[in-house]
Amino acid sequence: MSITDFNCTYNNGAGVNEEIVQKTKLKFPDAYKNWEDMAALAKEIKNHEDASFCTLPFCHTLEGEALGAVINYGDERIGPRGKDYLTSSIEDLLSISELDFSKGRLAEVLKACSYLRQEGENVALYISGPFTILNLLIDLRYVFKAFKKSPEVMEKTLEKLRVELLRFIREAQNMGVNIFSYGDSSGGLNILGPKLSEQIVEMFTYPLLKEAQQIITEDSIMLLCPKTSFALIGTNKAKWKNVELAESMKYDKACVSMIGKAKFLGEMCIKNKNYILKDRIIKSIELI
Amino acid sequence: MFESKEALLKRLSDGVVDMEEEDVIEASKEYIEAGYEAFDGIMQGLVDGMNKASVLYDEEEYFVTDVLLCSDAMYEGLNILRPHLPAEEADKAKVKGVIGVVEGDTHDIGKNLVKIMLETAGFEMIDLGRDVPLDSFVSKAKEVGADFVCLSTLMTTTMGGMKTVVDRLKEEGLRDKIKVLIGGGPISQKYCDTIGADGYSSNAVEAVKLAKKLLVTA
Repeated sequence: MSITDFNCTYNNGAGVNEEIVQKTKLKFPDAYKNWEDMAALAKEIKNHEDASFCTLPFCHTLEGEALGAVINYGDERIGPRGKDYLTSSIEDLLSISELDFSKGRLAEVLKACSYLRQEGENVALYISGPFTILNLLIDLRYVFKAFKKSPEVMEKTLEKLRVELLRFIREAQNMGVNIFSYGDSSGGLNILGPKLSEQIVEMFTYPLLKEAQQIITEDSIMLLCPKTSFALIGTNKAKWKNVELAESMKYDKACVSMIGKAKFLGEMCIKNKNYILKDRIIKSIELI
Repeated sequence: MFESKEALLKRLSDGVVDMEEEDVIEASKEYIEAGYEAFDGIMQGLVDGMNKASVLYDEEEYFVTDVLLCSDAMYEGLNILRPHLPAEEADKAKVKGVIGVVEGDTHDIGKNLVKIMLETAGFEMIDLGRDVPLDSFVSKAKEVGADFVCLSTLMTTTMGGMKTVVDRLKEEGLRDKIKVLIGGGPISQKYCDTIGADGYSSNAVEAVKLAKKLLVTA
């Protein structure tokens, strides 16, 4: 078997719908930075999209920033994105700090998650994979080169990121997150090619998810980006399992209904909330 | 005793294709020390290797990461050979392009690839980087007297910036002089037609063909 690419349409830019901005009267970029605004915004977006869960944060820069990247917070139109790399030396990645859940935007996001859960919401948290994180810390050219020239450095770096992400998942679950959305669009097959993609599944994704599986309780679930799902399936590290739903329903509602029944889903993008599963079948992913 | 010119050219080309920076650096130094023409070393050695890498990319034998590593090797060689170009070659006017990822987007791998391929094909590229303020495309194009502007984005939320650049070039009265080429994940020929850009390409190899077609170079 080989990995099939999932063609992402990247309808995922950070930034907030104008109607929501006007309704909430929130100030940007402050609303991306403090928990009260984040919670209010996440709730309003959920209502606007008629979704079954609130989603935080509003970008894919959270972990990268917490590890030292400089972020441009943007505005309501264009949200947070990378501004300056932390380093241009691959060796520096070995000394990046640990995620500190008690400070910065990371703490605020977790507080917002906790608050929303206490309010009775289902709370989804984006977790970024290694290439998305590294893309904020260093020009990925150095990373690609290091896989060829200094594979031991990359191996250690990925190990470090894996440990940090598992800590993050554990902490977030304790704070009330019950849906994890994992993706790494910067590390797709179209960029890495089949050989490195397979290597990343072996070195990072599979071990990460194997451990995450142990952390995720019966009250939580993880939604995988289809690029990740296809990479796992294509390397024989996972298999699909059809699960019958009680009725035909929207994808987001189906995801919530699967909490406690599966650890991983990932047949389509989390953005595809309103897609109706007409045949009452959802696919779970079982790690091998 | 120096190696023959042909042997060194092959080492330069193979070094680029095989992504072996150190080999390219060594071969470039030997090539110069032997007194061979820098221009041939660049064109028949480094660029030849990069062209072969482009073909392998087009045939899906190589992937983005491979091409980036090939280009690293090529640029290392260029750093050594370029200073030895005769003045008339070094100063020769090339078709000039400004390239960047539009404001709001930081995905620059595709843009880097297009830049490499265009440079290999003989265009002079001015790289504005990623998350580039839209006015910067216009002001830089004006400042350097660019023949074309290449805009890239992977996000639907930022693709509107491409139209803004087209419109601002019109406002500045530059639209007839400067071609606009666009590309990226959500971009299509339809979108290109809608915003009035000159051309769209789906990948870096096609971008070179498009630039050659639009800018009438051999």
